[in-house]
Amino acid sequence: MKRASRSHIVVPRRSERRFYGHGVPRVDLDQLAGKLIVVEGADGSGRSTQIEMLVEWLEGSGHATVQVGLKRSTLVSEELDQAQEGNILSRTTLSLFYATDFSDQLENIILPALKAGFIVLADRYIYTLMARDMVRGMDEAWLKNLYGIALEPDTVFYLNVPPQELVQRSFAKNTALDYWESGMDLGLSRDMFDSFMNYQTSMQKTFRHLQTTYGFTIVDGMRSAELISAELRKKISAVLAGK
Amino acid sequence: MKTFAELNFPGRLIAVEGLDGSGKSTQIYLLKRWLELQGLKVYFSEWNSSELVKTATSKGKKRELLTPTTFSLIHATDFADRYERHLVPLLRGGYLVLCDRYIFTAFGRDVVRGCPPEWVRGLYNFAALPDLTFFFKADLEVSLQRILDGRPQLKYFEAGMDLRLSADPYESFRIFQGRILEQYLAMSTEFNFVVIDANQLVEAQQATVRELVTQRVNLASFRSAERGPAKRALDPHRKSRVRETVE
Repeated sequence: MKRASRSHIVVPRRSERRFYGHGVPRVDLDQLAGKLIVVEGADGSGRSTQIEMLVEWLEGSGHATVQVGLKRSTLVSEELDQAQEGNILSRTTLSLFYATDFSDQLENIILPALKAGFIVLADRYIYTLMARDMVRGMDEAWLKNLYGIALEPDTVFYLNVPPQELVQRSFAKNTALDYWESGMDLGLSRDMFDSFMNYQTSMQKTFRHLQTTYGFTIVDGMRSAELISAELRKKISAVLAGK
Repeated sequence: MKTFAELNFPGRLIAVEGLDGSGKSTQIYLLKRWLELQGLKVYFSEWNSSELVKTATSKGKKRELLTPTTFSLIHATDFADRYERHLVPLLRGGYLVLCDRYIFTAFGRDVVRGCPPEWVRGLYNFAALPDLTFFFKADLEVSLQRILDGRPQLKYFEAGMDLRLSADPYESFRIFQGRILEQYLAMSTEFNFVVIDANQLVEAQQATVRELVTQRVNLASFRSAERGPAKRALDPHRKSRVRETVE
């Protein structure tokens, strides 16, 4: 059994790499041997559970992994927290601040890890950042130029869970709704519940719109964690096999 | 891209650009004093000065964490913060806004650092153009000497050390500044820079600046109704004006 599993370690096939737009300077795309896998979805869509399960599976299968997420850069994450707390930054500023955070992680974590042959699991990527900004009225062309720095992932999953269910999951976990996840800054409604439903509905619509450009896999997030994980594993196995 | 006048803002924006050591900060300071003493509504804004973003920028610089892309983005964030929270509201309110460096600084510097020009310009396309941009054109050697005379230690990013142009900070600084100058000159016509010969004496330059501002801007319309000349003691930029604005 041991012998069999060792011989079953799949050495990933090279994939063709490109940036979405201009990219970042001084990167040799041919050197990026690892894989970039993105899991997108609203809070409560099951992203962290899925990533946890994927890490177990991947490491068990002999792959080294690295996890990244939004607002985790050493450069600006503290300042971003402060800015959000005070709700003092305007849209373009906040948007650029998030892009700085993203770029910092892209260049200092994601690209080096890919170069070292790691499988990078990203808990959200540029799509959430773009969708949030688009819902807030930012220009799509401007955002596409901005995030032209991003590397095209090998695969992107979007965990789709309807707002009615998201709201229940949020209550079950915290018995409260998050200010930003309810889009309260938009002033859609003073009623937080209404605002949450409106905001999450617009976010989903925007994701579906972005899907047409970026072609991510929409995953039905209403099923059991195991069933969802099986679907993700199947797709990732295909990516590793170079299919 | 349009200027604030073309966008029917009641305010006007005047920007100065030039290499470190070109004397532009001195000139815009003198312009500001002159306008304030006439009792006009004036606001001054400096590159890389937004409070919140500043801590992140200085952290990034200190630890030499910045890549060309994050360097560019963090400065764009700083600019956007000042633009949206200060410049635009004040220009809507009929102020004369003076900017020590504007988007052209990014257009030059970030491109020299290797960022694609179209990408950088795209980042800043939310910003309107200045109504008047002075470019202080000093000989490269003059600018270099002014900086090198005053500060024996060159900082990492200021010297463009991240570009690996030379292991010697002074040599690196020379090459880096030379390349930025080339970028400025290439932009000069496209963005209607008013080129000031910065090798001249301070007073000669200031005379030209004041004359041009008088010609191009209807200063009388910026008079604040009741207030007299601004008080000198309250001017926050007075003390810190000299030479700490590099990078």
